[in-house]
Amino acid sequence: MTSNNHRFPRAPYALLTLGTILLLTGSYLGLFVAPPEHFMGDVQRIMYVHVPTAWNALLAMTFALFCAIAFLFRGGDFKWDARMEAAIEVGVLLAFLLCCQGAIWAKPTWGVWWDWDPRLTTTAVLLFAFIGILALRRFVDDPVRRGTWSAVATIIAYADVPIVYYSVTWWNSLHQLQSSPATVSKSFHLPLRMNAFAILFLMTGFIMLRARLASLRLEHELAPPPSHELDAVGELA
Amino acid sequence: MIEALRKELLLQWRTRAQATAVFVFGATSLLLFSFAIGPNASALRQHAAGFLWLALLLSSTLTLAETFHAEMEHRALEGLLLLPTSPRAIYYGKAIANWLQLALLGIALVPITVVLYDAGTPQLGSLILIILLGTAGISAPGTLYSAMTSQTTRGKQMLLPLLLFPLIVPVLLAAARATSLIILGDPMAQGASWLRLLAAFDAIYWSLCGLLFDRVVEE
Amino acid sequence: MSGTITGGWGFVWAAYGLTAFFLTAYAVSLFVRLRNERSR
Repeated sequence: MTSNNHRFPRAPYALLTLGTILLLTGSYLGLFVAPPEHFMGDVQRIMYVHVPTAWNALLAMTFALFCAIAFLFRGGDFKWDARMEAAIEVGVLLAFLLCCQGAIWAKPTWGVWWDWDPRLTTTAVLLFAFIGILALRRFVDDPVRRGTWSAVATIIAYADVPIVYYSVTWWNSLHQLQSSPATVSKSFHLPLRMNAFAILFLMTGFIMLRARLASLRLEHELAPPPSHELDAVGELA
Repeated sequence: MIEALRKELLLQWRTRAQATAVFVFGATSLLLFSFAIGPNASALRQHAAGFLWLALLLSSTLTLAETFHAEMEHRALEGLLLLPTSPRAIYYGKAIANWLQLALLGIALVPITVVLYDAGTPQLGSLILIILLGTAGISAPGTLYSAMTSQTTRGKQMLLPLLLFPLIVPVLLAAARATSLIILGDPMAQGASWLRLLAAFDAIYWSLCGLLFDRVVEE
Repeated sequence: MSGTITGGWGFVWAAYGLTAFFLTAYAVSLFVRLRNERSR
């Protein structure tokens, strides 16, 4: 097993390191330095990590859409397919975190774990839709089909986002449910911005590495490594 | 496209035993839902609309899965594509046929709903309109995804609902709400806005899926 | 909302802890998967 250190790209790791440092700093500021919010008290501190996660989850999904369109309409370059797979997986991670954070925020605030906030509900639907697309990819063996179908599915899923958002918003307004005021104390935006960039860097690093993984897997799929082709007697298996 | 549609309808008429089976499945689901609630008349009435649409949605997976069954069985998909009919025409033919089948199923399930949940309403015209708009919303993406999942070798049955259900959430929400308003009363005339939402969903997805269909069946 | 919510630090720690955990776990899974794929 040769060491592949010379092929390790530096950019993703720099992003990950920078992102981690920023996240630790931003979280420290949000947890201990920022003043408690007027009505929500200390529970509001969750927003310092929740809002950045939300922005980046949407960014990841939008980037996935962009990659899907690029793959479909720019000649099926598998680089875009790899990036799309990466963006979807990281988007699923962030959407999952978003739902967890949202539920943890909602319990002390509204007394229930799920309060049908339009943004969170849309995220949950998107989460399941994109998990479905990842599942689809697992069940299709032909790379071209896999790329084409999951790109189509991504476009269709993304088109649903505004519709779901609008329907839940409309439903809530009819039932006069309170919308979750996910605001942050106006005087202290620094931890918010730091964490936003932190998660942005982490996400970008993740996507770059995950895309690299997808490309490698495709390479191995299309041409298995030669060392495995010889059986014990030394003949081609 | 009319040719494609005619062929689909003929095929459906020939396999109408399957449609009966799907209807029984839907009716059984409605029965199960009523047992899940229990003999609570007001709760049953309140949730009748939701249950009707859930039963319809679950049954739709059975109907949709069959869409391309004939083609896959006889490897006719490639042959179909060689015909001068464009894939788009094939898509719309199948989607319309599915739509009609689902709409008929929905209408057939209404009497069962009325009996089990005491959910009668005089506004049959509006109810039929909601069923038409809602099933159209299920049929458009459902037909597209059915084309995909029929061509996979494994995991067919699981993939179609997995992909379709998250997408269909607005249809479920809007159709169930609109139906509920019809059953329970609509003092503030909100029904029209839900219908508009359904219409918008249908417009978006019938065009989007039609545009993308040829990428799904190309070789 | 009329009154204020006091305390609730448990929830705050839960949210931050969960986030940190899953981000770290994902990073680890990425490294492991990449390493396995490279050595194939």
